[in-house]
Amino acid sequence: MIDYVVQQSLNALSFGAEYALIALGLAIVFSIMGLVNFAHGEVIAIGGYSMMVMAAIAFRNPIIIIVGAIFASVIMAVFLERIAFRPVRYADATTGLLTAFGVSLILQNLFLLLVSPRPIAVTSMYFLDWPIKLGSIRISSLQIFETVATLIAILFLVLFLKRSFLGIAMRAASLDFEMVRLMGIRANRVIATAFAISGLLAGIAAIFIIARRGAVDPTLGFNPVLKAFVACVVGGFGSLSGAVLGGFLLGALEVGMLVILPQSYGGMKDAFVFAVIAIILVWRPEGILSPQKEKGDKI
Amino acid sequence: MNIFQSSKSFKQAFWGATLLSVVIASIGVFVIFFGERYHLRLVYAAYVNLLVVLGLQVFMGNTNITNLSHSAFMGLGAYIAAICVTPIQIKKLSLPDAPWGLNAFELDALSSALISLTLTGFLAFLTGLVIVRLSGIGATIVTIAILVIVHSIFMHRTDIFKGKQAFFGIPQVFDLSSIIMISIFVIFVARFFRESKWGIQLRASSDDEKSADAMGVNIFKLRLVAWTLGGLILALSGICYAYYLGTISARPFYFSHVFLTLAMLILGGMRSITGAVIGTILITFGLEGVRFMETGPTILGLKFPEMLGLSGIALGAVIVIIMVVRNGGLVGNFEIEQLFIKTRKKI
Repeated sequence: MIDYVVQQSLNALSFGAEYALIALGLAIVFSIMGLVNFAHGEVIAIGGYSMMVMAAIAFRNPIIIIVGAIFASVIMAVFLERIAFRPVRYADATTGLLTAFGVSLILQNLFLLLVSPRPIAVTSMYFLDWPIKLGSIRISSLQIFETVATLIAILFLVLFLKRSFLGIAMRAASLDFEMVRLMGIRANRVIATAFAISGLLAGIAAIFIIARRGAVDPTLGFNPVLKAFVACVVGGFGSLSGAVLGGFLLGALEVGMLVILPQSYGGMKDAFVFAVIAIILVWRPEGILSPQKEKGDKI
Repeated sequence: MNIFQSSKSFKQAFWGATLLSVVIASIGVFVIFFGERYHLRLVYAAYVNLLVVLGLQVFMGNTNITNLSHSAFMGLGAYIAAICVTPIQIKKLSLPDAPWGLNAFELDALSSALISLTLTGFLAFLTGLVIVRLSGIGATIVTIAILVIVHSIFMHRTDIFKGKQAFFGIPQVFDLSSIIMISIFVIFVARFFRESKWGIQLRASSDDEKSADAMGVNIFKLRLVAWTLGGLILALSGICYAYYLGTISARPFYFSHVFLTLAMLILGGMRSITGAVIGTILITFGLEGVRFMETGPTILGLKFPEMLGLSGIALGAVIVIIMVVRNGGLVGNFEIEQLFIKTRKKI
């Protein structure tokens, strides 16, 4: 019994780590410019497709593929900011959300048009995945890598935000962007950094998603980002610790649903998860750890 | 006219809706007389989308809260009406394991439609109680939750909804002329709601929630009214869909349809009914052109390659370009009667 509980908790932890990783990428952009970046999923997909391309032009070395995928995601995120999100930077949240939806739609269909509507096998990341047996608990090495990588990413992010000049500027920008600009810090640089970090996190997430699924298709990132978006909102949109909390909460919820629900209701997992999320939002409309902000405070 | 601020706004709403009805009806009549059989089907689908866009406009246009659950309500309306109206013999065949005796009764088309409207309207009211209390992003995430929940239920309860498979055997009740009448009716409803004092108060509250609240606008109540009215229109669109096509499945009531209708509303301009109608017309015709290109046609001796996904790119591009260049949509706050009636001043 204990083994079963430990086993499922480890599963919840690794699910949660993936959601937290993606949710952080969404939250860091939202906290600074109030944009709900639905196109984040396509940044993840770019990571996946870049692995496909690199594997096809005969890079055997996994380090090169990993670094290359992360690099591609970062470039993509910064590129999207430059061409699509800069023009709507000062618009209201609805405009930004709809723009991001549009970008996501364009990219998904570009993948479909230029590559293939079908999943394409990418096997270069399989080496990350082997079964580990601890007593009677069976887990995969991938779960450990994923959890550890997420924790390291969070650690570095916290260090960056607390210690570096740009990090401090970013934290200030999430409170009062105008003031930061009056202090002589370039808005473009702060926002580009936020997008670069979100791209970096998306690249890391892409590696693990590909390692687990072994294939890339145009909607690779859409569902994980939908879930991560939920995690963000539940944790409190714009709060980084909220995003992490929401991610792990969502992971626990999903695994919990799989354990509780009878087999025949397995297909309804998402319905139940989203219902619980809706209830949490009714209880706390601004999310669990939302930053305290008076309405109408900021124009 | 108690529900209007002044007789002037009634007059505007009336003439505006009449003009749009003329446009909508003439397109329909033209197709009835000159179109081929397969055109009729396409145009019917376009009218259904027009109803969806109008239902979406009632809530989104007046409150400025992004709603992504509209296809779910359309699906509910379609399925409830379909389950009621399909003959027993067919249901015994297609839904042998349906619970609660769902396959042991059949109703006439009108009562089925009324049941569907009542049930979907009630569900909209219930979900509305939650939605109106949230603002901005929180409300949008709950609408996504509704979409996902409803879709999972459609997919999972195959004993009632058939999931991915087709729910067949729905008698054909409507034809193109009936949906033209329904569209005209809905245009009037949506336009009157926009011009009523509730509509004006709602739009005021979406511009500045605090001030509207301070002026005594009951925001929660008005949002709930708009949400439920929108839900009813969406249910109606679903009923029209089921009553013509004869078969429905869960797949069309999901994200791709959500984005399609959202793009229609945004292109025209979500704050005005004229915008909703123009957006629907432009996207419908535009997409037909793009779909033609998608199949890889030969034009002037040039063979184009097959380009799957082109329509998705076009839709996405429409959304992004409108948001970046003119985020009020093509017409913004403009309504069609302003071409003819002088208004006091432009807002």
